[in-house]
Amino acid sequence: MAATSDALLAAADPAWRPSRGKTGTACLIAMESFFFGTFVVAYLFYVGKDVAGPTPKECLELGPAIFCSICLFSSSATVVAAVKALARGSRAGFEFWMGLTLLLGGIFLAGTAIEWKGLIEDHSLTISTNLFGTTYYSLVGFHAAHVTAGVLVLGLLWTLSKLGHLTPSDAERVELVSWYWHFVDVVWIFVFTSVYLISTGVLS
Amino acid sequence: MTTLSTTPVTEPAEAAREPLATRLHRWAITVDHKRLGIMYIASGLVFFVIGGLEAAAMRAQLARAGNDLISPQVFNQLFTMHGTTMVFLVGMPVLLGFGNYLIPLMIGARDMAFPRLNAFGFWLFLFGGLLLYFSYIGAQGLYGASVAPDVGWFAYAPLTDRTFSRGNSTDYWILGIMVSGFGSIATGANLVTTILCMRCKGMTLLRMPMMAWMMLVVGVLVLTALGPLTAAQVMLLFDRHLGAHFFDPQQGGSAVLWQHFFWFFGHPEVYILILPAFGFASEIIPTFSRKVLFGYPLMVAATVAIGFISLSVWAHHMFAVGMGPALNAFFSAMTFIIAVPTGIKIFNWIGTMWGGRIRFEPPMLFATGFVAMFVIGGLTGVMLAMVPFDWQVSDSYFVVGHFHYVLFGGTVFAIFGAIHYWYPKAIGRMLDRRVGVWSFWILFIGFNLTFFPMHISGLLGMPRRIYTYQPDRDLELWNLISSLGVPIQMLGVSLVIWNLVRSAFKGAPAGPDPWDAWTLEWSTSSPPPEHNFDASPAVGSARPLWDLKHPEDPDGRYE
Amino acid sequence: MSERPELPYSREVPTPTAWPLVAAFGTALLFAGIVTNLSASVVGLVLLVLGSAGWFRVVFPREECERIEPTGGQIPVLPVPLPPREAPRKRLVLPVEIHPYRAGLFGGIAGGIAMGVVAAAWGVMEHQSPWLPLNLLVGAVNPTLASASEAELAAFNPGWLAIAGGIHLVLSLLTGLLYVVSLPMMPRRPILFGVVVVPVILTSISWSVMGIVNPAMEEYLSWWWFIGSQVAFGAVCGVVVSRFAKVSLMKDLDLATRMGIERSEGGRS
Repeated sequence: MAATSDALLAAADPAWRPSRGKTGTACLIAMESFFFGTFVVAYLFYVGKDVAGPTPKECLELGPAIFCSICLFSSSATVVAAVKALARGSRAGFEFWMGLTLLLGGIFLAGTAIEWKGLIEDHSLTISTNLFGTTYYSLVGFHAAHVTAGVLVLGLLWTLSKLGHLTPSDAERVELVSWYWHFVDVVWIFVFTSVYLISTGVLS
Repeated sequence: MTTLSTTPVTEPAEAAREPLATRLHRWAITVDHKRLGIMYIASGLVFFVIGGLEAAAMRAQLARAGNDLISPQVFNQLFTMHGTTMVFLVGMPVLLGFGNYLIPLMIGARDMAFPRLNAFGFWLFLFGGLLLYFSYIGAQGLYGASVAPDVGWFAYAPLTDRTFSRGNSTDYWILGIMVSGFGSIATGANLVTTILCMRCKGMTLLRMPMMAWMMLVVGVLVLTALGPLTAAQVMLLFDRHLGAHFFDPQQGGSAVLWQHFFWFFGHPEVYILILPAFGFASEIIPTFSRKVLFGYPLMVAATVAIGFISLSVWAHHMFAVGMGPALNAFFSAMTFIIAVPTGIKIFNWIGTMWGGRIRFEPPMLFATGFVAMFVIGGLTGVMLAMVPFDWQVSDSYFVVGHFHYVLFGGTVFAIFGAIHYWYPKAIGRMLDRRVGVWSFWILFIGFNLTFFPMHISGLLGMPRRIYTYQPDRDLELWNLISSLGVPIQMLGVSLVIWNLVRSAFKGAPAGPDPWDAWTLEWSTSSPPPEHNFDASPAVGSARPLWDLKHPEDPDGRYE
Repeated sequence: MSERPELPYSREVPTPTAWPLVAAFGTALLFAGIVTNLSASVVGLVLLVLGSAGWFRVVFPREECERIEPTGGQIPVLPVPLPPREAPRKRLVLPVEIHPYRAGLFGGIAGGIAMGVVAAAWGVMEHQSPWLPLNLLVGAVNPTLASASEAELAAFNPGWLAIAGGIHLVLSLLTGLLYVVSLPMMPRRPILFGVVVVPVILTSISWSVMGIVNPAMEEYLSWWWFIGSQVAFGAVCGVVVSRFAKVSLMKDLDLATRMGIERSEGGRS
């Protein structure tokens, strides 16, 4: 009977069940996509509906934004390299690539901070100034908050590795964090397109 | 039929006599999906009683024309808190609680995929609910400002603007719902992951109990719906505290955008509340009809179809705001389309009962009542999907009658059916059958007395959310009947609760499989041990216990 | 996953822990601080960080788990061996037989034509226009029709004709399909159901809601003609449907047999 059951199972058992870490992360990313989608819709809905200035065309600069975007996008590549290094068992490689990722993420955040400082001081644009301020600060701010969270988690991983607590068996968990990092990058594609291309009139 | 000789019906193991503090500590630190599920359901029932008392107060006010029992301000708070409580603090937690309790047992797992996240989700829900009710104490604010939220459960802009809602009551609505929403998101993700990743050997997707399919779609809908709600609430919070202008028409903001965001959450939410009820019915009806669920694959397809279509029907709540003919026609058509998979389910349940040997035990009574009441609510829903009709009765008591038939006659009846069905599994003792039958009929009569006349008073032109109405408009009789149904319903609910409490001590021992059912949860002892199954089960068909009881005619033969 | 042969918690269960409770309480306090006092937010943040750190220590580097102690009193579940496939068995799935679905399509179209003939006869005899009933049907989707003049309603309008034709076709086909499923379920004299019961039900529903669903139609409608058109539909559709031989649903057979493969083994046709 037992042998028969085993044979039945071998024929019947689905060979493929997704890993719970990957499925859970995918769920989180799906939820976050809808969250950001709502902010993007609000931003695009209100483009050009302001009753008072300043407008995006007057105060947003494309050059620094492109530089920051390049930093953020390349950090997606470096984080992949870091995960690969960890899976190979190369601690030094992991720390190098992860450090580079942190640096690039940091540059991006600094770029956002500088841009905000300029907007507040030179254009006196705050969240309560007009609809552009409202939607711009919320959308870019939530994205920056997610980048910050990502930097904190990646920094924690880097520290754990420095302390010698990360082993190649943790590569799958680290890969899940890298998924989140990729997601934050993908969101930036939509934010960049809406804020710096569509609302400034570059794309129209 | 061969009886399963290994299932002696004995008294459930006496809980070791530990001090109360130790036992409470065990519940507080637990990550066991069964304990968390019971806590979800129990706290949901407490909120159900609170929300029900709020409704009873409103009906008392509306019993007579020109009544002055309750002031208009308090009435606004009552309908806001009633709606918010019933949707966020009763419907979602009770249904997610059932998902929590049942899904691992049904798919043969030892726990949810993320047990600690599960505990986190439950506590977030509970603290969020307490935060919302803390508004009665904490939201004093300015003189004359409201103590509890009074902007409706949908919190339409610009009522929620700081100008019109002074004090902090609206903030309590935002924050309480947001915090408990985080909990729902965690549980939704957990359910999806559990169902996809934790199935026991042999449990292919098409061998899962129908309930698992329903909860899978519910989990996905929670993930898609709660994100936009949270985003919209954050925007509202920015408007109120940072001076942003998302929903501020003075600065070019749009009040209608809030409606779009809210209902983009709000309509999938309706399906979050009804799909688990479909799941309960799909488990209870086959068991008590002694027949296999009619049209399982079609049922799965219909469920998935509902999941997708429910994301594109939201604006049928907004026909009256002036979206223009094109949008009205689109959302009207989508709403008609979603009625098709829903209708398929109704026919499948009737097809299951057709020619079966039906046993009208209390769970089956509630499930049958659910199907009947849901058909009425569903048909009035199709009527409301017609734009010209909706223009006539939008925001009238007809709508109130419609969605109470769906959510009370539908969801709550199914929940009571589920409680009667799975209580022996969770507690190890049977509920009293006579009390169960009585409570069903009392509740059924009270429910119809209260909510059927609402259709008529709505067609006669009685608007929603008014604290009183004038005499001589032909509304008195219908409102009086509606109010008279309330004490009957209260009696019915009290009977259910009394039965639940009393049977926990006095009920007959249930044994593992009191209903002669077929899914995996009935193979383990009642109540199940912490690890659910001594040996991980392995299945060869959709009804593993049927196979064991009828080895000469196993289901696998027909797959 | 192929590299993960063992499912999570197959030999153990997770250890209870209070950290999620702490983190959840911290989150709630963090948000409650916005409407009460900032100090509540500070305490909440501290608790959230503490809770998350404690939680992290539970799952890293290895998840804390407890061994399982068997308790007994269960029915062990394993798949049963399938008996050899000698003769096909019957498993009662009702309804056993329905008319073929195409009967519903034919019946719906035939009934729809019959109904159209009656309605057009009404239009010609009482309002001197065969287009009036069709145009009135449009009122169900276009509320502005209620204010249209009789001359407009009586005139030929290609746009309205398309809409009305679509509505009529869809409703006729759906009703035809309903007949397919429900006629065999009627215990005696299914034709009585088709000719009398359904028209009476549909007419009473229409009568009670027509004023709100389609105010334009209510203004002009003659109810005796309306009943006549319903009966015409019911009679023609019912007769057409019931002339088709019933087919077995074959729910008790496996998919391959029902699709016509392995017909020799299925033994039914």
